[in-house]
Amino acid sequence: MPRFVALFAAATALFAQDGATRENWPHYGGQTSAWRYSALDQVNASNVSRLTAVWTFQTGDNEGGLQATPIVVDGVMYVSTSHNRVFAIDAATGRELWSYYFQLPKGFTIFYGPWNRGVAVADGRVFLGTLDNHVVALDAKNGRELWKVNVEDANQCGCNITAAPLVVKGKVIVGVTGGDSAHRGYVNAFDAKTGRQLWRFWTIPGPGEKGHETWTGDSWKSGGGATWMTGSYDAELNLTYWSVGNPAADFWGGNRKGDNLYTDSVVALDLDTGKLKWHYQQVPHDVWDWDTAYENVLLDLPVNGRPRKLLLNVNKGGYTFVVDRTNGEFVAAWPLVNNLNWITGVGPKGELLGRNEPVVGKSKIICPSIGGGRSWNQGAWSPKAGMFFTTGIEWCEDVVAVPETPKEGQVYFGGTFKLTHKPLKGEAGGHLGAYDPVTGKRAWLYEYKYPLLASVLATAGDVVFTGDAEGFFFALDATTGKKLWSYQTGSGNRGSAVTYSVNGRQYIATPSGWGSALAGLLPQIWPETERLRSGSAVFVFALPENGK
Amino acid sequence: MRRWLVLLLLPVAYGQSIGTPASVARGDKLFAQGCSVGYCHGAGGSAARSQRLRGRTFEREYLIKVIRNGIPATAMPAWGDRLTDADINDLTDYIQSLATAPINVAGGPSTEAPVSLPAEKSVDTPEEHRRGRELFFDLTRESRCSVCHRLNGNGTAVGPDITKVAAIKEADGPQVLRYGRPRTVRTFVLKDGERFAGVPAERTASKTRVFDLSATPPSLRSLVNTDVQSIQRQANWRHGNVVRGYSLEDMQTIWNYVRFVAAKK
Repeated sequence: MPRFVALFAAATALFAQDGATRENWPHYGGQTSAWRYSALDQVNASNVSRLTAVWTFQTGDNEGGLQATPIVVDGVMYVSTSHNRVFAIDAATGRELWSYYFQLPKGFTIFYGPWNRGVAVADGRVFLGTLDNHVVALDAKNGRELWKVNVEDANQCGCNITAAPLVVKGKVIVGVTGGDSAHRGYVNAFDAKTGRQLWRFWTIPGPGEKGHETWTGDSWKSGGGATWMTGSYDAELNLTYWSVGNPAADFWGGNRKGDNLYTDSVVALDLDTGKLKWHYQQVPHDVWDWDTAYENVLLDLPVNGRPRKLLLNVNKGGYTFVVDRTNGEFVAAWPLVNNLNWITGVGPKGELLGRNEPVVGKSKIICPSIGGGRSWNQGAWSPKAGMFFTTGIEWCEDVVAVPETPKEGQVYFGGTFKLTHKPLKGEAGGHLGAYDPVTGKRAWLYEYKYPLLASVLATAGDVVFTGDAEGFFFALDATTGKKLWSYQTGSGNRGSAVTYSVNGRQYIATPSGWGSALAGLLPQIWPETERLRSGSAVFVFALPENGK
Repeated sequence: MRRWLVLLLLPVAYGQSIGTPASVARGDKLFAQGCSVGYCHGAGGSAARSQRLRGRTFEREYLIKVIRNGIPATAMPAWGDRLTDADINDLTDYIQSLATAPINVAGGPSTEAPVSLPAEKSVDTPEEHRRGRELFFDLTRESRCSVCHRLNGNGTAVGPDITKVAAIKEADGPQVLRYGRPRTVRTFVLKDGERFAGVPAERTASKTRVFDLSATPPSLRSLVNTDVQSIQRQANWRHGNVVRGYSLEDMQTIWNYVRFVAAKK
């Protein structure tokens, strides 16, 4: 028996990629495989209760909260805030090294919101997407601007960039928002040195391209397909994986009959050319606003005894889809929430069963609500625990589909909604669970009265970190879900905690600062949440230096 | 005692003095069509991305100003060019009527169709120039005119003010677009051997900002002057290479549209 385990472990190690972070937190999702897992274990389940605050950095811009993932490279932390401000901070002391304020055009109307979800750092450069749809490169030493590119006129497209770019092999890969506007989405790659565009992948195929037939009339021009969260990358396959959001209009599909490729799909693109290698569409012809938008977690696991290279993606509709990342073959799907009535289930080939669609001019209860069975705040995969930790939200909405004519760059929703006070099952609220990534079998569930809207961080110290709406940043035991430690940060948590080390000391850093479109929706169910204070600060913790 | 009574009555009197049932009803409809949509103000102003409007008191002048002009650098757009004064008046009546409304909205979401906005904000384009405008700003093309030319407040100003160029050229439009070699384009040679065609944007004692025309859209690069070997007047760059996606007929249509805008100015 022990020999068998050892053999299995060795076999696993052979094909397993290492997606764990160590001293640095170099990419948005930790490594490019988006595990949000660190091999650091100085802070662990036995001592996490002794964590103490070592420094706090106030950004000074509270609007929209602080939604970023800090990037840490060689002892320097890079954080972006609302209104495209970037700070470089000494990661051990909290001292500001430089700041950069992007200048928006005068009188500019911000679409969606002022927030920014992070920068990317590579080869001595810092990369940022902006509210007026620029991509900017800065010198990591001093914050000096090196280049900027205006991807599209934001006033015209009704789109912008809030996600962190992904930088690999000298390429800056950036998505775009605009999925709820009459807009056609894309993924762009730029040369990290010069800012020259290297390729563009349109998320909606144009005339003559494969997949164009899944749209009727001119609907492809305004069909959404935003790429509003950061993609992943597999170095061995040289593929970059991006999630494509909902088709527009969100709730009404009368003028876009067909599957509407590649909306609500994971697309695997060749890093060098941007050419589509494969796609997996989770929700054909979406009429619920069920973006495939969130992180693509790349993990290697045996399925039915066979080692597989997998990709896990939580769909906004509350189902988690697992596919083979070499070819897009369906492997498994499992529900994350109890309140889910837009389908009755997912069939053995990934097909959606029993679709329950919004109706034109008539209200209908749909679960989860438009806010999603989960928001964009990312989960974490711990290979040590063998668990995928993710938040989930129990809530429903009353929705009406309304036919609408698209107008370029204007909001294109195709319906209206209102959150309902009681979901179909139990109470409305949030939770954080530990799941087997393939079967969805749950090991434990931590419940909370409001949605949990901060990302999850897992470490080799068998600790799971996240934060809540009321400002508590806390640690759970990875094996039991028991709360081991918490700290009041003074404002709700909506960003992504990270961990890193400087001179052998492990630090845990979390953004604190309540905000976002979703946070704004919460008072429809919980009126008292409109009193939750905003903020914008990074809190950093470590064990006491004297070891006590 | 009398003062106390007046104070007590004030909220009621305030609520009653706002609008007529007809204007409030019309404002309700407009609100559902334009303000509660998407992630904006929520059904009945119940709160969403932006703040709750129900159960709050706002000054009339403030509401009118914000609806008309928007709030710069936020997500609140200016509605002044899309709504009439009567619309704004009714909308204001409706929002003020929410001051005494309970925070929770009764009933389901609205079934109103979203408000119909004019397609163009700044300049009215007559029918015969609509196609030219569409081609100029066509987001489905990566190489479209507006990537390098700003017109009517949209697009990136890499190239010169195109209305001036169009106004003075009596020549055959497509000919100019295909064979023109703009005088603003230079060849930049960097000390690391890199060479590219670019349009200088700014030059100071220490740095040079230049639009790199090697790819679309152009990248605005900030070069340290000590990294620049030379800036040459000759450039091997042709306008014809970037407009290849347009047919000759398209170019003529675009040219006519630009001349129309130039004439209007």
